[in-house]
Amino acid sequence: MLPEHRLVRIVVLCVIVAGTAFAQANQPSGNWTPPKTAWGDPDLQGVWTSDDSFGVPFERPRKYGNRKFLTDDEYAARAKENELISTSIQAGVTPQAGYWLQHDGVDYQPYPSNWSEYARRTSRQTSLIVDPEDGQLPPLTPQAMLLRAGSIVASRRKPHPESWEDINMYGRCITRGVLGSMLPVMYSNGTDILQSPGLVVIRYEMIHEARVIPIDPPNKPHPHLPAGLRTYMGDPRGHWESNSLVVETTNFIGGRLGVGTNGDGVSYSEDLRLVERFTRTSDRSIQYEVTVFDPKTFTASWTVAFPITQEPGYQIFEYACHEGNYSMSNILSGARAEEKVQSVVK
Amino acid sequence: MQNRSISLIAGATLLFVLPPLWAQNYVAPRAADGHADLSGIWEALNTANWDLEDHSPQAGPMWQTGAIGAEPAGQSVVEDGVIPYLPAALEEKKINFANRRTNDPEAKCYMPGIPRANYMPYPFQIVQSPRGVLFVYEYGSANRFVNMGKPVKPVSDTWMGTNNGHWEGDTLVVDATGFNGLAWFDRAGDFASDKLHVVERFTRTDREHLQYEAAMEDPSVFSRPWKISMPLYRRVERNAQLLEFKCVEFAEELLYGQYRKK
Repeated sequence: MLPEHRLVRIVVLCVIVAGTAFAQANQPSGNWTPPKTAWGDPDLQGVWTSDDSFGVPFERPRKYGNRKFLTDDEYAARAKENELISTSIQAGVTPQAGYWLQHDGVDYQPYPSNWSEYARRTSRQTSLIVDPEDGQLPPLTPQAMLLRAGSIVASRRKPHPESWEDINMYGRCITRGVLGSMLPVMYSNGTDILQSPGLVVIRYEMIHEARVIPIDPPNKPHPHLPAGLRTYMGDPRGHWESNSLVVETTNFIGGRLGVGTNGDGVSYSEDLRLVERFTRTSDRSIQYEVTVFDPKTFTASWTVAFPITQEPGYQIFEYACHEGNYSMSNILSGARAEEKVQSVVK
Repeated sequence: MQNRSISLIAGATLLFVLPPLWAQNYVAPRAADGHADLSGIWEALNTANWDLEDHSPQAGPMWQTGAIGAEPAGQSVVEDGVIPYLPAALEEKKINFANRRTNDPEAKCYMPGIPRANYMPYPFQIVQSPRGVLFVYEYGSANRFVNMGKPVKPVSDTWMGTNNGHWEGDTLVVDATGFNGLAWFDRAGDFASDKLHVVERFTRTDREHLQYEAAMEDPSVFSRPWKISMPLYRRVERNAQLLEFKCVEFAEELLYGQYRKK
């Protein structure tokens, strides 16, 4: 055990180091020039992760109001929690913080901590949603509100899943959608970016999806696929605006995936249009921004933004989700077994 | 007599040394890094995914779909015609064939493995980037990254393998190991173990074709190394683009139907 004052000093030191690193990751220094590919496009290539934003709330907690960044004291508290999580994970013990604290006393075991990633640099953001001003999802349209309420009521009527269709798209290993693939979660936050002339490919670690994005000349996008052809990951078209890659994606399948982490949350409609921006801000950081347009679901557009960063030694491994989806058989067979017992007991 | 054997040997040597006919007068365009440009959307046009070996037309595993699910005839893509199984492995292949409707990883929408991913009836895209070569397959959102730098050793067993590539002239050579032994080669139940070692060769033979070869080695399943080869065709449609075939939804009833609430 470390004497308490030494521990405090280490934490303070870590906070300072983390703070400096964060500042470096987010504020390009004056003489830094974004790298270019051999054929002259901005170079976004590499393996990036959203780990640094793990733990930043999606919607802004009300206590922060319209404030986008933590105060120094709030930041120190979050850095301290991150430090506790990272040292616990590295020591192989369960952190008394974040996800694990939330699952304390719940009637199932939380994931062991060695599953989890953690923020290498503490974020100052109060929420991932940066627009509107209050950091909240805009109000739903009456139609979307009804659908949302309907799906909540339907799920409450079923204490056990009757089939795989009662499990979410991520649990079924189908997809997390474009939004859900980028938002930070507990593990496998890797995003691999490759480029070749006229193409950018974004490969997500989780569910191993690759989006092949054709690059058009500015103001001359080639048309999207016809409306009759729809997919989960949609039809992307890219172009460069200065140093930013701008990707517009349409032709989504509507009504099955949500806008939140892992594709949960409010379902979007088939009219969803995403505009993503990838801007390199330092050797080890890309600022990611996505604006969500879906007038059937939301009364206004809204924007999420956070950095994706490089972590030394981070590798993308094959994520064979469906192939190893034992939990699906276990959940469903467990539900049927429980029903059988209930029918005998009553 | 002696003269004749000498000329035979000379002839055979010449055949061995000379590049194949298709490689003689076509020079592939260059990619950004100066190597041959193999990028684009490609697809096999044969029945190798039904059966790598010679096969007569026959009913498929699903009579319910009538002629739609039937197996067309096809010629072997295996050099020398037949896969050289060890006796016990041949028995296993026959059991696989008998159970193909439920046990073929394709039916379950599992990742296809190598070499099968390259001759399934779905297009795939080769992306040549400075970081390495990415193969993006439409089937099942599968993909594999081919490391073109210093070769890496497999750190875990996977469906799509650990892929190290290098150039031999204008041919992309991919050395793949680190497999989990669960993938099949085709719908006929041909298979290998986790000791499988595949060496693939991709050569552009003209604007619209790649010549594809894969050499397989697995001493626990085969009595000797063996090889398949076939052309891959460019999807030349003006609007050709890779689409999405996420097939999990189409396999759930097969995999989990027994657990559905009655």
